[in-house]
Amino acid sequence: MFEFKGSPVEVRDDLRNTYVEIWRHLAEPGPTLTGSQRVGLAEHVRAARSGDSSIRHDMPDALLHLASTLFRNPADVDGFMVRHAAEDAGNPMVVEIIGLVSMLAAVDGAHRGLTAELEPLPDPMDGEPTGVIAEGLKQRRTHVPMPAGPIPVALDLVPEVGQAYRDSFGPQYMTEAEMAFDDFNRIPGLNRAQIEIISSRISIHNECFY
Amino acid sequence: MLRASAIAFEYEFNLASIGDPSISTGIPGGTELLLFVDAVIGSSVPEIRHAQTAVIGALRPEGLADAAGVFGNFEMMNRVAEGTGIPIAVQAIERMADTIDELGIRHFIKS
Repeated sequence: MFEFKGSPVEVRDDLRNTYVEIWRHLAEPGPTLTGSQRVGLAEHVRAARSGDSSIRHDMPDALLHLASTLFRNPADVDGFMVRHAAEDAGNPMVVEIIGLVSMLAAVDGAHRGLTAELEPLPDPMDGEPTGVIAEGLKQRRTHVPMPAGPIPVALDLVPEVGQAYRDSFGPQYMTEAEMAFDDFNRIPGLNRAQIEIISSRISIHNECFY
Repeated sequence: MLRASAIAFEYEFNLASIGDPSISTGIPGGTELLLFVDAVIGSSVPEIRHAQTAVIGALRPEGLADAAGVFGNFEMMNRVAEGTGIPIAVQAIERMADTIDELGIRHFIKS
């Protein structure tokens, strides 16, 4: 798993392990979806990005539309689209798919950057959804309910998904502790200024203020 | 954050380069990284390979592996931001007004 066939360079073990963990998370039952539904959703958005919308799954159309739009072109997502999906599927399922699609975009994006073959999707694990959903969160000026705080807590309506997302930061970018240092320097690798120049340019392309 | 980290490394960073990679960044390997991002977004394999070679030349193979990971991370973060609609604090917008206007990204701020 995660051999990065076609990459001109070796991939650090910690980065590889992060992607393995994302794949494990994708395959297992989530708070509202089974493993089969989660892997099916990933299959759907990958195919839709390639122009194939024939792969359908037993999920509300508005949810599939949100998922494929978010994967293909996040700038096209707006509050109306998210709320429409939430009316059909509920906020927890919407937040779960936002997390899954976003983590899939991370894995596939790194593979594109390395000109590596995309990793085949994992086999889904058996089991029913966990039903673990945070209570008492408010929808402030956001599309979905979330705790007050910065972007690392944005998915915490579904804590299992939020944790998997946060766990991926360190090897891909910096740990939350490392983010405190403007002079962070991964040796060998990139320093923080070089890391931030990449993130800034991506955000320009995605028309995202973050 | 980019300005702060550039100061930490004593680079003479040129903000305008983020919007126009033909302008020197002032950061070692910075132009190669900007063109790498553009190539990956464009998805042309020959162009990505060309950009990879430039990054490896400037920042060694480990720099390219890091760049791919960072690219993936921000593909993720941008989607979380857009999908959840996490707001941008008014104070942050005011504090960054010069940067926002210099890069011409005020329309990225959604209500």
